[in-house]
Amino acid sequence: MKHLDDTEHMDHFERQLTRLMHSTREPVRYEPRHQDALHAGVRARRRVRAARRAAGSVLAVAGLGLGLLLWPHGHTDDRPSAPHPRPATSPTPVGSTSPGPSQSPSTTGAPSGPPSSSATAPATPDSTASTANPPGASGSSATATTTQQPPPGTATSPSTTAPPASATVGAPAEPSDTPSSAMSPTR
Amino acid sequence: MEQARAGEYDAFVAARWSVLFHLARLLTGGDRHRAEDLLQESLVKLWFVWPKVADEAPEAYVRRVLARAAARSARRRWWGERPVEVLPEVAAAGDVSATVAERSRLEAALAQLSPQQRAAVVLRYYQDLPDRQVAEILGCPVGTARSHAARGVARLRRLLSDVIEPVG
Repeated sequence: MKHLDDTEHMDHFERQLTRLMHSTREPVRYEPRHQDALHAGVRARRRVRAARRAAGSVLAVAGLGLGLLLWPHGHTDDRPSAPHPRPATSPTPVGSTSPGPSQSPSTTGAPSGPPSSSATAPATPDSTASTANPPGASGSSATATTTQQPPPGTATSPSTTAPPASATVGAPAEPSDTPSSAMSPTR
Repeated sequence: MEQARAGEYDAFVAARWSVLFHLARLLTGGDRHRAEDLLQESLVKLWFVWPKVADEAPEAYVRRVLARAAARSARRRWWGERPVEVLPEVAAAGDVSATVAERSRLEAALAQLSPQQRAAVVLRYYQDLPDRQVAEILGCPVGTARSHAARGVARLRRLLSDVIEPVG
Protein backbone atom coordinates (compact mmCIF):
# COMPACT_ATOMS: atom_id res chain seq x y z
CA MET A 1 0.00 0.00 0.00
CA LYS A 2 1.22 3.45 -0.86
CA HIS A 3 -0.65 5.19 1.90
CA LEU A 4 -0.10 3.18 5.03
CA ASP A 5 -1.40 5.89 7.29
CA ASP A 6 -4.70 6.02 5.45
CA THR A 7 -4.93 2.23 5.41
CA GLU A 8 -4.32 2.02 9.11
CA HIS A 9 -7.17 4.41 9.74
CA MET A 10 -9.54 2.30 7.66
CA ASP A 11 -12.11 0.23 9.39
CA HIS A 12 -12.92 -3.38 8.57
CA PHE A 13 -15.45 -2.57 5.90
CA GLU A 14 -13.11 -0.19 4.07
CA ARG A 15 -10.32 -2.77 4.08
CA GLN A 16 -12.69 -5.43 2.80
CA LEU A 17 -13.93 -3.03 0.14
CA THR A 18 -10.38 -2.41 -1.01
CA ARG A 19 -9.70 -6.12 -1.17
CA LEU A 20 -12.91 -6.75 -3.04
CA MET A 21 -12.12 -4.12 -5.65
CA HIS A 22 -8.74 -5.67 -6.36
CA SER A 23 -9.79 -9.29 -6.27
CA THR A 24 -12.68 -8.95 -8.64
CA ARG A 25 -10.46 -7.99 -11.51
CA GLU A 26 -10.67 -10.43 -14.37
CA PRO A 27 -7.89 -10.70 -16.94
CA VAL A 28 -8.89 -9.20 -20.26
CA ARG A 29 -6.73 -9.55 -23.34
CA TYR A 30 -5.99 -6.70 -25.68
CA GLU A 31 -7.55 -8.11 -28.82
CA PRO A 32 -7.07 -7.03 -32.44
CA ARG A 33 -10.56 -5.61 -32.50
CA HIS A 34 -9.60 -3.31 -29.66
CA GLN A 35 -6.55 -2.19 -31.62
CA ASP A 36 -8.58 -1.61 -34.79
CA ALA A 37 -11.19 0.37 -32.90
CA LEU A 38 -8.47 2.40 -31.24
CA HIS A 39 -6.77 3.26 -34.52
CA ALA A 40 -10.10 4.12 -36.09
CA GLY A 41 -10.82 6.42 -33.19
CA VAL A 42 -7.45 8.10 -33.61
CA ARG A 43 -8.09 8.69 -37.31
CA ALA A 44 -11.58 10.03 -36.67
CA ARG A 45 -10.34 12.38 -33.99
CA ARG A 46 -7.54 13.56 -36.25
CA ARG A 47 -10.09 14.42 -38.93
CA VAL A 48 -12.23 16.26 -36.42
CA ARG A 49 -9.26 18.26 -35.22
CA ALA A 50 -8.26 19.15 -38.76
CA ALA A 51 -11.81 20.22 -39.61
CA ARG A 52 -12.04 22.25 -36.45
CA ARG A 53 -8.73 23.94 -37.20
CA ALA A 54 -9.84 24.73 -40.76
CA ALA A 55 -13.15 26.12 -39.52
CA GLY A 56 -11.31 28.26 -37.02
CA SER A 57 -9.03 29.62 -39.73
CA VAL A 58 -11.99 30.41 -41.98
CA LEU A 59 -13.76 32.17 -39.14
CA ALA A 60 -10.67 34.16 -38.30
CA VAL A 61 -10.18 35.26 -41.91
CA ALA A 62 -13.86 36.13 -42.25
CA GLY A 63 -13.79 38.16 -39.07
CA LEU A 64 -10.67 39.98 -40.18
CA GLY A 65 -12.19 40.76 -43.57
CA LEU A 66 -15.40 41.98 -41.98
CA GLY A 67 -13.46 44.16 -39.63
CA LEU A 68 -11.49 45.69 -42.46
CA LEU A 69 -14.69 46.20 -44.45
CA LEU A 70 -16.37 48.03 -41.62
CA TRP A 71 -13.30 50.06 -40.79
CA PRO A 72 -14.23 53.79 -41.01
CA HIS A 73 -11.42 54.71 -43.39
CA GLY A 74 -13.60 57.18 -45.44
CA HIS A 75 -14.29 59.47 -42.53
CA THR A 76 -10.83 60.12 -41.30
CA ASP A 77 -10.56 63.48 -39.54
CA ASP A 78 -6.93 64.02 -38.80
CA ARG A 79 -6.66 67.79 -38.76
CA PRO A 80 -3.99 69.16 -36.50
CA SER A 81 -5.18 70.92 -33.44
CA ALA A 82 -2.61 73.73 -33.68
CA PRO A 83 -2.81 76.40 -36.45
CA HIS A 84 -0.54 76.15 -39.44
CA PRO A 85 2.85 77.72 -38.82
CA ARG A 86 3.36 80.97 -40.72
CA PRO A 87 6.65 81.95 -42.33
CA ALA A 88 8.72 84.21 -40.20
CA THR A 89 8.75 87.78 -41.58
CA SER A 90 11.03 90.54 -40.54
CA PRO A 91 9.98 94.22 -40.45
CA THR A 92 12.59 95.19 -43.07
CA PRO A 93 11.76 97.70 -45.85
CA VAL A 94 10.10 96.47 -48.95
CA GLY A 95 12.93 97.55 -51.21
CA SER A 96 15.42 95.30 -49.54
CA THR A 97 13.31 92.20 -49.98
CA SER A 98 13.11 90.05 -52.99
CA PRO A 99 11.62 91.69 -56.04
CA GLY A 100 7.93 91.25 -56.38
CA PRO A 101 5.08 92.77 -58.20
CA SER A 102 4.70 95.48 -55.60
CA GLN A 103 8.13 96.96 -56.27
CA SER A 104 7.99 97.49 -59.99
CA PRO A 105 6.09 100.82 -59.92
CA SER A 106 8.50 102.40 -57.46
CA THR A 107 11.62 101.64 -59.48
CA THR A 108 10.78 102.20 -63.11
CA GLY A 109 7.51 104.02 -63.22
CA ALA A 110 6.46 102.12 -66.29
CA PRO A 111 2.82 102.68 -67.15
CA SER A 112 2.23 99.00 -67.85
CA GLY A 113 2.61 97.95 -64.22
CA PRO A 114 -0.48 98.08 -62.10
CA PRO A 115 -0.25 100.45 -59.20
CA SER A 116 0.01 98.81 -55.85
CA SER A 117 -1.04 101.20 -53.21
CA SER A 118 -0.34 98.86 -50.36
CA ALA A 119 3.25 98.37 -51.33
CA THR A 120 4.08 101.88 -52.41
CA ALA A 121 2.25 103.78 -49.74
CA PRO A 122 4.91 103.26 -47.06
CA ALA A 123 7.65 104.12 -49.48
CA THR A 124 10.35 106.24 -47.99
CA PRO A 125 11.63 109.45 -49.58
CA ASP A 126 14.80 107.60 -50.55
CA SER A 127 12.95 105.15 -52.66
CA THR A 128 10.97 107.85 -54.46
CA ALA A 129 14.09 109.88 -55.20
CA SER A 130 15.37 107.13 -57.42
CA THR A 131 12.49 107.56 -59.78
CA ALA A 132 12.17 110.07 -62.58
CA ASN A 133 9.49 112.00 -60.82
CA PRO A 134 10.39 115.40 -59.37
CA PRO A 135 10.50 115.74 -55.62
CA GLY A 136 7.69 118.19 -55.56
CA ALA A 137 5.29 115.78 -57.13
CA SER A 138 5.83 113.08 -54.56
CA GLY A 139 2.92 113.15 -52.15
CA SER A 140 2.31 111.27 -49.06
CA SER A 141 -0.64 109.41 -50.41
CA ALA A 142 -0.78 109.80 -54.19
CA THR A 143 1.74 107.22 -55.18
CA ALA A 144 -0.16 106.21 -58.28
CA THR A 145 0.06 109.73 -59.69
CA THR A 146 3.82 109.83 -59.30
CA THR A 147 4.33 106.63 -61.14
CA GLN A 148 1.80 106.73 -63.93
CA GLN A 149 0.91 110.29 -64.75
CA PRO A 150 3.91 112.54 -64.84
CA PRO A 151 3.44 116.23 -64.21
CA PRO A 152 3.16 118.63 -67.14
CA GLY A 153 6.70 119.86 -66.70
CA THR A 154 8.13 116.51 -67.57
CA ALA A 155 6.09 116.06 -70.70
CA THR A 156 8.75 117.75 -72.84
CA SER A 157 11.38 115.21 -72.04
CA PRO A 158 11.85 112.80 -74.93
CA SER A 159 11.80 109.79 -72.72
CA THR A 160 8.23 110.44 -71.73
CA THR A 161 6.71 111.09 -75.11
CA ALA A 162 3.43 109.49 -75.73
CA PRO A 163 3.09 106.72 -78.30
CA PRO A 164 0.89 108.78 -80.69
CA ALA A 165 3.73 111.29 -81.09
CA SER A 166 6.08 108.63 -82.17
CA ALA A 167 3.48 107.53 -84.67
CA THR A 168 3.53 110.95 -86.36
CA VAL A 169 7.27 110.86 -86.58
CA GLY A 170 7.15 107.61 -88.36
CA ALA A 171 4.63 108.97 -90.85
CA PRO A 172 7.21 110.19 -93.47
CA ALA A 173 7.58 106.59 -94.39
CA GLU A 174 4.91 107.47 -96.94
CA PRO A 175 6.50 110.37 -98.90
CA SER A 176 4.58 109.91 -102.07
CA ASP A 177 1.86 112.53 -101.38
CA THR A 178 3.38 115.26 -99.24
CA PRO A 179 6.50 116.13 -101.28
CA SER A 180 4.54 116.46 -104.48
CA SER A 181 2.17 118.95 -102.95
CA ALA A 182 5.01 120.98 -101.55
CA MET A 183 6.82 121.35 -104.91
CA SER A 184 3.87 122.54 -106.84
CA PRO A 185 3.90 126.22 -105.62
CA THR A 186 7.52 126.68 -106.67
CA ARG A 187 6.61 126.09 -110.25
CA MET B 1 9.35 8.60 -35.96
CA GLU B 2 5.66 7.93 -36.33
CA GLN B 3 6.30 4.19 -36.41
CA ALA B 4 8.31 4.30 -33.21
CA ARG B 5 5.66 6.38 -31.54
CA ALA B 6 2.94 3.95 -32.62
CA GLY B 7 4.99 1.00 -31.45
CA GLU B 8 5.56 2.42 -27.99
CA TYR B 9 1.94 3.42 -27.73
CA ASP B 10 0.65 -0.01 -28.75
CA ALA B 11 3.02 -1.69 -26.33
CA PHE B 12 1.80 0.45 -23.46
CA VAL B 13 -1.86 -0.12 -24.29
CA ALA B 14 -1.38 -3.88 -24.63
CA ALA B 15 0.44 -4.06 -21.30
CA ARG B 16 -2.00 -1.95 -19.32
CA TRP B 17 -5.25 -2.77 -21.03
CA SER B 18 -6.49 -5.21 -18.40
CA VAL B 19 -5.80 -2.91 -15.44
CA LEU B 20 -7.26 0.13 -17.16
CA PHE B 21 -10.28 -1.79 -18.30
CA HIS B 22 -11.00 -2.93 -14.75
CA LEU B 23 -10.72 0.66 -13.56
CA ALA B 24 -13.12 1.79 -16.27
CA ARG B 25 -15.51 -0.98 -15.35
CA LEU B 26 -15.56 0.06 -11.71
CA LEU B 27 -16.00 3.71 -12.67
CA THR B 28 -19.00 2.85 -14.81
CA GLY B 29 -20.62 0.62 -12.24
CA GLY B 30 -19.98 -2.61 -14.11
CA ASP B 31 -21.21 -1.53 -17.53
CA ARG B 32 -18.82 -3.46 -19.74
CA HIS B 33 -19.61 -1.79 -23.05
CA ARG B 34 -19.63 1.65 -21.60
CA ALA B 35 -16.35 0.95 -19.86
CA GLU B 36 -14.85 -0.18 -23.15
CA ASP B 37 -15.99 2.96 -24.93
CA LEU B 38 -14.75 5.13 -22.10
CA LEU B 39 -11.36 3.47 -22.21
CA GLN B 40 -11.17 3.80 -25.99
CA GLU B 41 -11.95 7.49 -25.74
CA SER B 42 -9.31 8.02 -23.08
CA LEU B 43 -6.68 6.11 -25.04
CA VAL B 44 -7.43 8.12 -28.17
CA LYS B 45 -6.77 11.26 -26.18
CA LEU B 46 -3.58 9.67 -24.91
CA TRP B 47 -2.37 9.19 -28.49
CA PHE B 48 -2.35 12.92 -29.18
CA VAL B 49 -0.38 13.74 -26.04
CA TRP B 50 1.83 10.67 -26.17
CA PRO B 51 5.06 12.57 -27.02
CA LYS B 52 4.56 14.69 -23.91
CA VAL B 53 3.53 12.07 -21.36
CA ALA B 54 5.24 8.96 -22.69
CA ASP B 55 8.31 9.44 -20.53
CA GLU B 56 6.44 10.60 -17.46
CA ALA B 57 3.19 8.94 -16.42
CA PRO B 58 0.93 7.87 -19.26
CA GLU B 59 -1.16 5.67 -16.97
CA ALA B 60 -1.82 8.56 -14.61
CA TYR B 61 -2.99 10.62 -17.58
CA VAL B 62 -5.40 7.87 -18.68
CA ARG B 63 -6.65 7.47 -15.13
CA ARG B 64 -7.35 11.17 -14.89
CA VAL B 65 -9.20 11.26 -18.21
CA LEU B 66 -11.18 8.17 -17.29
CA ALA B 67 -12.24 9.46 -13.87
CA ARG B 68 -13.22 12.88 -15.15
CA ALA B 69 -15.20 11.43 -18.04
CA ALA B 70 -16.96 8.99 -15.74
CA ALA B 71 -17.80 11.67 -13.19
CA ARG B 72 -19.08 13.91 -15.96
CA SER B 73 -21.08 11.23 -17.69
CA ALA B 74 -24.24 11.91 -15.70
CA ARG B 75 -24.55 15.38 -17.18
CA ARG B 76 -24.66 14.24 -20.77
CA ARG B 77 -26.50 11.55 -22.62
CA TRP B 78 -24.55 8.50 -23.54
CA TRP B 79 -24.38 7.85 -27.27
CA GLY B 80 -21.67 5.23 -27.31
CA GLU B 81 -23.81 2.10 -27.29
CA ARG B 82 -23.87 0.10 -30.50
CA PRO B 83 -25.93 -3.01 -31.24
CA VAL B 84 -23.91 -6.11 -32.14
CA GLU B 85 -24.95 -9.43 -33.59
CA VAL B 86 -22.83 -11.61 -31.32
CA LEU B 87 -22.49 -11.00 -27.63
CA PRO B 88 -18.84 -10.37 -26.84
CA GLU B 89 -19.00 -12.08 -23.46
CA VAL B 90 -20.73 -15.36 -22.89
CA ALA B 91 -20.85 -16.82 -19.41
CA ALA B 92 -19.08 -20.14 -19.22
CA ALA B 93 -20.44 -23.09 -17.32
CA GLY B 94 -17.88 -22.98 -14.55
CA ASP B 95 -17.78 -19.24 -14.34
CA VAL B 96 -20.35 -19.00 -11.60
CA SER B 97 -18.18 -18.79 -8.55
CA ALA B 98 -17.77 -16.81 -5.41
CA THR B 99 -15.51 -14.32 -7.14
CA VAL B 100 -18.00 -13.65 -9.88
CA ALA B 101 -20.79 -13.33 -7.37
CA GLU B 102 -18.77 -10.84 -5.34
CA ARG B 103 -17.93 -8.87 -8.44
CA SER B 104 -21.52 -8.77 -9.51
CA ARG B 105 -22.62 -7.51 -6.11
CA LEU B 106 -19.89 -4.95 -6.00
CA GLU B 107 -20.67 -3.62 -9.45
CA ALA B 108 -24.38 -3.53 -8.72
CA ALA B 109 -23.71 -1.56 -5.54
CA LEU B 110 -21.38 0.84 -7.30
CA ALA B 111 -23.97 1.43 -10.00
CA GLN B 112 -26.32 2.86 -7.39
CA LEU B 113 -23.93 5.62 -6.43
CA SER B 114 -23.80 8.96 -8.12
CA PRO B 115 -21.00 9.31 -10.70
CA GLN B 116 -19.03 11.66 -8.46
CA GLN B 117 -19.37 9.37 -5.42
CA ARG B 118 -18.42 6.34 -7.50
CA ALA B 119 -15.37 8.04 -8.95
CA ALA B 120 -14.25 9.24 -5.52
CA VAL B 121 -14.68 5.80 -3.94
CA VAL B 122 -12.88 4.00 -6.76
CA LEU B 123 -9.97 6.44 -6.81
CA ARG B 124 -9.72 6.36 -3.05
CA TYR B 125 -10.03 2.60 -2.42
CA TYR B 126 -8.96 0.96 -5.65
CA GLN B 127 -6.24 3.37 -6.77
CA ASP B 128 -5.16 4.12 -3.17
CA LEU B 129 -4.99 7.84 -3.84
CA PRO B 130 -5.10 10.40 -1.03
CA ASP B 131 -7.94 12.86 -0.83
CA ARG B 132 -5.86 15.69 -2.23
CA GLN B 133 -5.06 13.75 -5.40
CA VAL B 134 -8.65 12.57 -5.75
CA ALA B 135 -9.79 16.16 -5.57
CA GLU B 136 -7.21 17.17 -8.15
CA ILE B 137 -8.34 14.49 -10.59
CA LEU B 138 -12.02 15.26 -10.14
CA GLY B 139 -11.41 19.00 -10.33
CA CYS B 140 -13.10 19.85 -7.05
CA PRO B 141 -12.02 21.01 -3.57
CA VAL B 142 -10.52 18.49 -1.17
CA GLY B 143 -13.49 18.75 1.16
CA THR B 144 -15.88 17.99 -1.66
CA ALA B 145 -13.88 14.96 -2.74
CA ARG B 146 -13.73 13.71 0.85
CA SER B 147 -17.47 14.20 1.20
CA HIS B 148 -18.15 12.28 -2.01
CA ALA B 149 -16.02 9.39 -0.84
CA ALA B 150 -17.54 9.31 2.67
CA ARG B 151 -21.10 9.35 1.39
CA GLY B 152 -20.32 6.70 -1.19
CA VAL B 153 -18.77 4.41 1.38
CA ALA B 154 -21.68 4.92 3.74
CA ARG B 155 -24.08 3.88 1.04
CA LEU B 156 -21.96 0.89 0.05
CA ARG B 157 -21.88 -0.15 3.69
CA ARG B 158 -25.62 -0.56 3.63
CA LEU B 159 -25.74 -2.19 0.20
CA LEU B 160 -22.93 -4.70 0.84
CA SER B 161 -23.76 -5.61 4.38
CA ASP B 162 -24.42 -9.22 3.43
CA VAL B 163 -21.27 -9.56 1.34
CA ILE B 164 -18.86 -7.95 3.79
CA GLU B 165 -19.65 -9.16 7.24
CA PRO B 166 -19.19 -6.62 9.99
CA VAL B 167 -16.62 -7.42 12.64
CA GLY B 168 -17.86 -8.43 16.02
